[in-house]
Amino acid sequence: MIALAFWLFATLTVASAVMVISARNTVHSVLFLIFCFFNAAGLFVLLGAEFLAMILVVVYVGAVAVLFLFVVMMLDIDFTELRQGFLRYLPVGIVVGVVLCVEIVFVFKTWILNPDMATVAAAVTPPLDQISNTQALGSLIYTHYVYAFQASGLILLVAMIGAIMLTHRARVGVRKQTISTQVARKREDAVTVVKVPTGEGI
Amino acid sequence: MANLLNNYLLPLIIIVLEILAIVVPLLVAVAYLTYFERKVLAAAQLRKGPNVVGPFGLLQPLADGLKLMMKETVIPSGANRVVFIAAPILTFTLSLIAWAVIPIQAGVVLADINVGILYLFAISSLGVYGIIMAGWSSNSKYAFLGALRSAAQMVSYEVSMGFVIVTVLLCAGSLNLSAIVNSQAGSYGLLNWYWLPLLPMFVVFFISVLAETNRSPFDLPEGESELVAGFFVEYSAMTFALFFLGEYGNMILMSAMTSILFLGGWLSPLPFAPFTWIPGFVWLFAKIAFVLFCFLWVRATFPRFRYDQLMRLGWKVFLPLSLGWLVLTAGVLTAIRTWSGTGG
Amino acid sequence: MPLLLPDFTPALPEIFLACAAMALLMLGVFQGEKSAKEVSWLSVAALVIAGALVASRGMERRTGLEDMFIVDGFSMFMKLFVIAGASIALIAAIRFNAREKTERFEFPILILLATTGMMMMISANDLISLYLGLELQSLSLYILTSYNRDDVRSTEAGLKYFVLGAVSSGMLLYGSSMVYGFAGTTSFTSLAEIFGSTDSGSIGIIIGIVFISAGLAFKVSAVPFHMWTPDVYEGAPSQVTSFLSVAPKIAAMALFTRILYDPFGHLVGEWRQIIATISLLSMAVGALGAISQRNFKRLMAYISIGHMGYALAAFAAGTEDGVRGVLIYMAMYVFMVGGTFAIILCMRRDGKAVERIDDLAGLARTQPALAVALAIFMFSMAGIPPLAGFWSKFYVFYAAINANLYTLAILGMVISVVGAFYYIRIVKIMFFDEPAGAFDTPLGAELAGVIFVTALATVLFGIFPSPIISGAEAAAASFFAG
Repeated sequence: MIALAFWLFATLTVASAVMVISARNTVHSVLFLIFCFFNAAGLFVLLGAEFLAMILVVVYVGAVAVLFLFVVMMLDIDFTELRQGFLRYLPVGIVVGVVLCVEIVFVFKTWILNPDMATVAAAVTPPLDQISNTQALGSLIYTHYVYAFQASGLILLVAMIGAIMLTHRARVGVRKQTISTQVARKREDAVTVVKVPTGEGI
Repeated sequence: MANLLNNYLLPLIIIVLEILAIVVPLLVAVAYLTYFERKVLAAAQLRKGPNVVGPFGLLQPLADGLKLMMKETVIPSGANRVVFIAAPILTFTLSLIAWAVIPIQAGVVLADINVGILYLFAISSLGVYGIIMAGWSSNSKYAFLGALRSAAQMVSYEVSMGFVIVTVLLCAGSLNLSAIVNSQAGSYGLLNWYWLPLLPMFVVFFISVLAETNRSPFDLPEGESELVAGFFVEYSAMTFALFFLGEYGNMILMSAMTSILFLGGWLSPLPFAPFTWIPGFVWLFAKIAFVLFCFLWVRATFPRFRYDQLMRLGWKVFLPLSLGWLVLTAGVLTAIRTWSGTGG
Repeated sequence: MPLLLPDFTPALPEIFLACAAMALLMLGVFQGEKSAKEVSWLSVAALVIAGALVASRGMERRTGLEDMFIVDGFSMFMKLFVIAGASIALIAAIRFNAREKTERFEFPILILLATTGMMMMISANDLISLYLGLELQSLSLYILTSYNRDDVRSTEAGLKYFVLGAVSSGMLLYGSSMVYGFAGTTSFTSLAEIFGSTDSGSIGIIIGIVFISAGLAFKVSAVPFHMWTPDVYEGAPSQVTSFLSVAPKIAAMALFTRILYDPFGHLVGEWRQIIATISLLSMAVGALGAISQRNFKRLMAYISIGHMGYALAAFAAGTEDGVRGVLIYMAMYVFMVGGTFAIILCMRRDGKAVERIDDLAGLARTQPALAVALAIFMFSMAGIPPLAGFWSKFYVFYAAINANLYTLAILGMVISVVGAFYYIRIVKIMFFDEPAGAFDTPLGAELAGVIFVTALATVLFGIFPSPIISGAEAAAASFFAG
């Protein structure tokens, strides 16, 4: 059953990944990308990493890809036009690809694994039969990897500052709704009841 | 052969039956939710509501369903056919598959997974795709504008919803839905449920749920006065019906989620004899019905938000509030744990 | 299961700086744009305090934060000069920003965060902390480069820097994955043990080192990964370039030294050729490229490429002398380049900033003090004896010759003679050409102060180089003590 599920998810992941780069319509590409994430989440579940699987769906599918889709839908990019230089650059691309492939072959041919690898990797992981996957992840992130975790937070802070600094413009002459003043307004400040004598006016 | 039967076929049949046992009552519930809505709105507006088809108009939903099935499915000529058809199917499917993890009663749940609450959250965050895909593939500006509005709205409110959920699971100490319900059990009955200690979060969650399901007063995506009908202008007959079912299914799902997170799920509000004899699922249904009634009540009472007000509420009020409350909850929990000396 | 937090104390200066940046961010956000100047000065104060915290640590070698972080004499020395470089750039920028009407409170905050990233790079003792520090620094720099968001050149430079920077990060990560794939660990300490025990690296490791070196060579803008430098230096606003050209270079060089000497130290035979080649090419391209430049900032870009070449020449030695050479070179570099950029920030005529070399014509007659200061920096960079730059070049070539890298040393000396051409040309333009008109006065106390201090340091460390040299010696010794 597990094997069947694995092959299903794995095939769909690869197939949709291929479709991402080969679909003509960019919106279709993004939809395939989402499908790909989804299947990757399935693979995570099979690995027993259920927390990661759900977070992948929540963050990547539920938020990041939505914004992606947003941008792709709003921009009117003609991708056939972008592909026009494709043939011209194909030889260069092939050369680079072949060089990388050859390198990888060389690397794997002489691959020697560090004999202590298993002990090194297992040293920090809490025993999985005692606590759940989520708890294990949390206790590692907040103790062993707390430095890396906090540093990543700082990087995201910088990204946020940057996004605001480079795009936010304080526009002048805009009348903004200030709800607090609206709520704080009293009848006495706004309306006065005047007794108007008949036939005289004010 | 017997091996194959025992190992694959039998479990498969059981799973299908279990699924049907959830889905069929759910669809009936959706049908009668529309009836319920019309009756509640009518009562709020001093009208009678549906009362012609069947006794008290009880057959009205069936008549509506029949009508939608008989109509012709129109696909606009400029539409992207595959996506156009896929969008309502997606919406409908998503509203159904989320039910897999909802515990109906103690121990009665289709899939009792460890990260149930995250699963629910993930599925509800996927709901936005049905809408975007529908809006884009219809090739109509009203539909597209409606889709953009709704996508932005759902993504915005999801953030604070996420924080609320984190607050709850900090208190419960688990991501499993049954465990969350069980952690609300106590000798004070309904005063033990999380709505009381986490009252601000309960309010934030309920309002975010309204926004997440595109219900009034946050129904801008379909705001008929500006956008005709929003993202499903171009849909008709069964494709429309699927959207409709999906939306109402989502409402029920979100009500169930609210009941489980804050209203003690299947627990009885008064934890002593006559009330505890009533089976848990009745309590859960009663709670879902109550939350749904609140949905409709809000719809009958409040005018629609303007878009900038909606965004302001989500980002400038709910997000800081839920974030602050999350920090506060974590602090209080740590303090309790430190003082009671059970860990550190 | 008990949750035990690691010991945070080794990272105290970094934590302080990050917290200060966040506190100042809140201050800026709540007070609005008018608080820019206040935030800038408070940032300088934060840098000074962080520097004091770094200095108070001492030279003792210590690792912390689950072996991800290391402090020793080397890191202390480099961090102090990073902080010095950042402070110089920040102080010089205050007046410039006020004049150009580009005051925003995010500027000092991004500089603080970038500095935090650099200090994290210098103290990295793990491939993960290396990458995170590097990204924190780079991301802040990308944003700073496009600081003038309404200026096409600035945004173009930012985009270019970002795209190429992302490529280089990719190469670094690819190399790291190779290394991790072999060793099964990312910690430098364990890596050093593993490579110390196995007699030689496999091809996988070599390729990993090559990719890591390529990624880091990009960050120090060494040839052949220097293409972004002239465009980014020219396009970025001058106050950003003055930061960009000093502190990040020191941090990247420190990181480069740490990773190649510490975990890969036993493989020195494998990487020496790569570094020597990069060094030679950088010296040559820096010197030849600089000759035809008309824009001062572009010229500085080539000059800094050349300087990185010299620093790498000491680096290629792979010995304690080499580390000392790098340390001395980077220390002197702070004053020379920081001071030169302060002068570039002074170059304003009729209320507009100018940056062509011809604009310096006749400066000796209109503003003799400025001309003398610039002449000091130029002669120092050329390596003329009584100035600081002489000693930095001296110890570089000393290290290279001691490691039997004769070709590199001799070619480097020849190239530095070629390089003297454009330094002396600037002096000639200032002292013997017809005046092109004075720069706007007054310069402002901040800029004048920075120029005075850096010029003084260049002269004093030229005459009495012993404090820097003995400091560098102690730092290099502590680097090899572990």
